[in-house]
Amino acid sequence: MSDTLTAGRAFVAVLRRDLTIYLSYRTRLVSQVLTSAFSLTLFYYVSRLVHINGLSPRAYFGFVVVGISLIGVLYSSFSIPELVRQELLVGTFDRLLLSPFGAIRSVIAMSLFPMMFSFVLATLTLGLGCVVFGLHLHWSTVPLAIPVMLLVLMSFLPFGILFAALTVVVKQGSVGTSWVVALLSIVGGLYFPVSLLPGWVQTTSRLQPFTAATDLLRHLLVNTSIGESPQTSLLKLVGFAIVLLPGSILVLSRAIRFGQRRGTIIEY
Amino acid sequence: MTPRSLQLASTEPLEQSAPGAGAGAPARASDELAPLRLCALSKRWRKDLPLVLDELELTLEPGTVTWVGGRNGVGKTTMLRVAAGLIEPDSGRAEVWGVAPGENRVRYQRLVSFLPAGDRGLYARLTVRRQLEFWARIAMVPRERFGETVQHAIDTFDMGELAERRVDRMSMGQRQRLRIAMTFLPSPEVVLLDEPLTSLDEEGSALIQAAIAEVLERDGAVLWCSPSGEHLDMSFDAHWMLEQGRLVAA
Repeated sequence: MSDTLTAGRAFVAVLRRDLTIYLSYRTRLVSQVLTSAFSLTLFYYVSRLVHINGLSPRAYFGFVVVGISLIGVLYSSFSIPELVRQELLVGTFDRLLLSPFGAIRSVIAMSLFPMMFSFVLATLTLGLGCVVFGLHLHWSTVPLAIPVMLLVLMSFLPFGILFAALTVVVKQGSVGTSWVVALLSIVGGLYFPVSLLPGWVQTTSRLQPFTAATDLLRHLLVNTSIGESPQTSLLKLVGFAIVLLPGSILVLSRAIRFGQRRGTIIEY
Repeated sequence: MTPRSLQLASTEPLEQSAPGAGAGAPARASDELAPLRLCALSKRWRKDLPLVLDELELTLEPGTVTWVGGRNGVGKTTMLRVAAGLIEPDSGRAEVWGVAPGENRVRYQRLVSFLPAGDRGLYARLTVRRQLEFWARIAMVPRERFGETVQHAIDTFDMGELAERRVDRMSMGQRQRLRIAMTFLPSPEVVLLDEPLTSLDEEGSALIQAAIAEVLERDGAVLWCSPSGEHLDMSFDAHWMLEQGRLVAA
């Protein structure tokens, strides 16, 4: 029990470290909020041109704002490999690996700040959408979006851990992450409904959690109708988290062991 | 069982000069416990390269400081990395008080602490105090000893005035002092030092000796690796040279 508590404090310490480092760059928060504001402005005016599948410009704006919020969450999970790369570069990964807390728990802990921050930024984006651009949220189901968002984070986390494992082996932080995010944003229906895609792409788009996450959160936040029941989307997210999380941790553990055996863990 | 109780449980007297079986000394029986034992360690980086460690043997006795020297690239750092549990040997075994990293990683890492050579391993934008607090947490120092441990590290390495200064605003020598403070912070039983005097002034050298004395007081052991000559004012209980993957008397 005592060890569990001490490990919990170590998780909090990693979170606090990342927050401190983030805040030490004073213009970073302003810059990220401004980026969200520019995206919202852009899509507010683009939405006026959109008339698809019975979506009104206002409905499309709600549709795309949720997508923009979620892409930040997706990016946050895919930032883990880059964070691992940074730790390798500055030599702190060795120290984490040689600590009682260990590398695996450290990598998971490293995901806390970007994920929590993406949650905050997503909330700010939605808030800006409401206050500045007149986005109508479906308030009766908005509170349900919070636990669903946590589940979404858990279902995205394994992808970050898998790419972190790849980083430990190949020493490059962004191998494939940008095109995976781009691909997911297309097949996941970030900017347009998945129903516009060719049939076979629609089928494959159901094989990753991003589509279920966007569908479910859109339904809860802006009351967009979804192709499958909310329960099905929810079960998919739970399934992805339960299956992929332990699997990704195992892969990371193997990658570290591989590096230790080959001696490449010290390379960067 | 604590390392000290493990040591007391050992009925065999500890050999006075057990360090390098590679130099011809007999290997110790596997049930004898020592702060650090490297048993027949072999490591080759690539098949077409010679062994960097060739069945290397080394035993550190409680309360001793051992120096290992050798020319650049001879394998001192590799030996330390294997001893620290950072990389695995091709064959052989490293153990701290009888525990190997593969058997109980968390226990092993609680007992041993490693200072890598160079100036890496710091978060540039954290202050000294934040850095030490972070490593105390990662070292899983119990809550009741946390504040005292961090403050002790600051005091031992005379960093009171630097405590609130960010690492990227410190000199190389000050950073090295912090790196050493982080190494000694969790009160390890075994300390592995790779060229610790890099960038340190005389005051820093004296502080590291004081920290080593604390380790020795609790019957721990220190393994110090550096090229010959930089440690003339230090006193060691044993001197070894690493040559062709094995330790020979210096």
